[in-house]
Amino acid sequence: MSGSLLLQSIILGLLLGGLYALLAAGLTLYFGVMRVVMIAHSAFLVLAAYLAWYFQRETGLDPLLSLLVTVPLFFVVGFTMQRLLLARLRPATLTMMSVLLTFAIALTIEGLLGYFFSGTQRRIQLDYSGSSIEFFGANIAVVKMIAFALAAVALLGLWALMKLTRFGQALRATIQHPEAARLLGINTDRIAGFGFGLGLATAAIGGTALSLDSTIYPSLHWHWIGPLMAIIVIGGLGSIPGAAIAAMVLGVSQSLLQVPLGTTWAQTVFYIALFATLMVRPQGFFGGRLAQRF
Amino acid sequence: MFSHRKSRRGALAVTACLSLAASLGACGLDSGGGEGEGGDDEIVIGVSLPLTGDFSEPGKGVQRGYEAWADYVNENGGLLGKDVRLEILDDQSSADRVASDYEKLINQDKVDLVFGPFSTRLVVPAAQVAQDYGFLFVEPAGAAEEVFTQGFDNLFYAAPAIADDHYNLLAEQIIAMPEGERPKTAAYATMDDPFAQGTAYGLKDKLEAAGVTTVADEVYPPNTTDFSSIAAKVADSKADIVVGGTQYQDAVNLIVALQQLNFQPKMAAFSTAPTNPEFPEAIGSKTEGILSPTGYTPDAKYPENQEFVEFYTEKNGTPPSEDEANAWTTGEVVAAAVEDAECADPSQECQQKLIDFLREATVDTVVGPLSWDAEGRPESAHLIQQYVDGEIRIVLPEDQAEAEFIAVKPQW
Repeated sequence: MSGSLLLQSIILGLLLGGLYALLAAGLTLYFGVMRVVMIAHSAFLVLAAYLAWYFQRETGLDPLLSLLVTVPLFFVVGFTMQRLLLARLRPATLTMMSVLLTFAIALTIEGLLGYFFSGTQRRIQLDYSGSSIEFFGANIAVVKMIAFALAAVALLGLWALMKLTRFGQALRATIQHPEAARLLGINTDRIAGFGFGLGLATAAIGGTALSLDSTIYPSLHWHWIGPLMAIIVIGGLGSIPGAAIAAMVLGVSQSLLQVPLGTTWAQTVFYIALFATLMVRPQGFFGGRLAQRF
Repeated sequence: MFSHRKSRRGALAVTACLSLAASLGACGLDSGGGEGEGGDDEIVIGVSLPLTGDFSEPGKGVQRGYEAWADYVNENGGLLGKDVRLEILDDQSSADRVASDYEKLINQDKVDLVFGPFSTRLVVPAAQVAQDYGFLFVEPAGAAEEVFTQGFDNLFYAAPAIADDHYNLLAEQIIAMPEGERPKTAAYATMDDPFAQGTAYGLKDKLEAAGVTTVADEVYPPNTTDFSSIAAKVADSKADIVVGGTQYQDAVNLIVALQQLNFQPKMAAFSTAPTNPEFPEAIGSKTEGILSPTGYTPDAKYPENQEFVEFYTEKNGTPPSEDEANAWTTGEVVAAAVEDAECADPSQECQQKLIDFLREATVDTVVGPLSWDAEGRPESAHLIQQYVDGEIRIVLPEDQAEAEFIAVKPQW
């Protein structure tokens, strides 16, 4: 492997890892707050990507502006979904039933996307799609940097929200010990709804970031849900920093392994890491006690 | 399975005899002034098509092509002076259905000729039935190598070339270039799919034989979404020519990823995607010089094609695409055999005459002159198209060219 290819692969891996981290953040949040396995998360990503594409096609404006609409919209949809659907599942079977319920939601989204936009592959055409900046002989694509910046801002925002606000405190309390949180006067039901809305809002940002540099089609979400699930299990269910670190490590490993092994084998790094984690440290590397409750 | 087929055929034969007996009287009355054995004044052609299910989109395209061809023949005096009538069944994209459909067409409906269905998956079982009954089988869709390795001696693929030969004209062009201008190194990236891989590796074999060194050879699974690492390896190889064995989405993603790395090869060729009307929308203005093989374009200058495009466009309101053209080509090929053999009936002698004719013949069609090898592989080549001044134009072969071949691709 030449030096420039090594540097290029590391940069590509970091950029890819940033995107993975953003996409997985919401997923680990649902797990953390209410033990919901949200299969439809990646379907919402694809939905947001379609909305960004549609917005750009209809208005001719930069797809990033669609975030002004999709982020609040997804927050409300997430809150409503949690209050109207997921909150009605019985706590004893919540985890399993949430898989079935969100599976159905994913299929519905896929079907509706196919109905409205057809199965044709779509891609946002930007003036800067192919542009890049040279960095010590490696090239960094502008769209990938924008996606990475979006991921960084969104994750830092999420972290600040969790650490620095009263809402974040309540959310963390709900994650750590729902009964104790309720005793302290926290309306855990509402907090859970907000937590879910927050998770879905990250899907809006992630989907838009994804749409900048990918061809999208209705069934694309099935390709994403597997790696994302692997990331949050390895990072530790419910841990956002865990998800971010696991995403970075896996993104860079995938990118580097691609050079000697080829694409087919490099993709298996997620599943090998998943098996290894489950054998060595089933609760994940950062999640701690939470995962042991399952 | 074979004995099962035989017993089913027996049962069908009994049914067919009964229905034939019931209708003989009517036939006798009808054929009063007719000529020939059947005595009817029309030629019935049986087809089964995937009008529903997985392949319904291309299946309907093939149906439009067949119907346009039949209308055209009937408006121009028919075949051997008789009208052509199509008997089309829907096999729902199912390989079981397609076999029983052809059994029914041949045994029960007593069609005079058959045309092939759409897709390799349906062509193989359908061709088996046609072979059992000794019928000529010309098919519009079945480019994969497995179609030609089943031992069919009645099958002919009505298109210019199988997947491995799609890039042939480009290979010839490159090999004919003067030593100093010819690319010395090549990088290949191909989807793990028999069709897509066949196209790229067909070119790879020819270029390697001519001394062009392979410096990268990447195979990726069909569900790959991130192409940046593949592009990084291709770019790192600094190849003079980059060849994609691609379908739509992967070609677009790979090209953009290569552009992001500011990799500027002298030549770039990708199968399938560049001929798709959505392609320039996806890539934007950076398509200049990209090459692609294609089986059909309405712009091809063969006289048959110009007549076809005019007739089809008037009838349907839009110009034909590849599915319609392949169906029309099937009709032309069978018609040429019928006119030479001067017969179109299900008898063994007639069908054998038709098959024997095509073994030796070269037939002028909308995709150019076609001839076949012993297994039914067409021996022509795909046209090579290239983006010139923002439009996709034919550049090879020279006698069909609408624009000059650009040997060194402008920067993208």
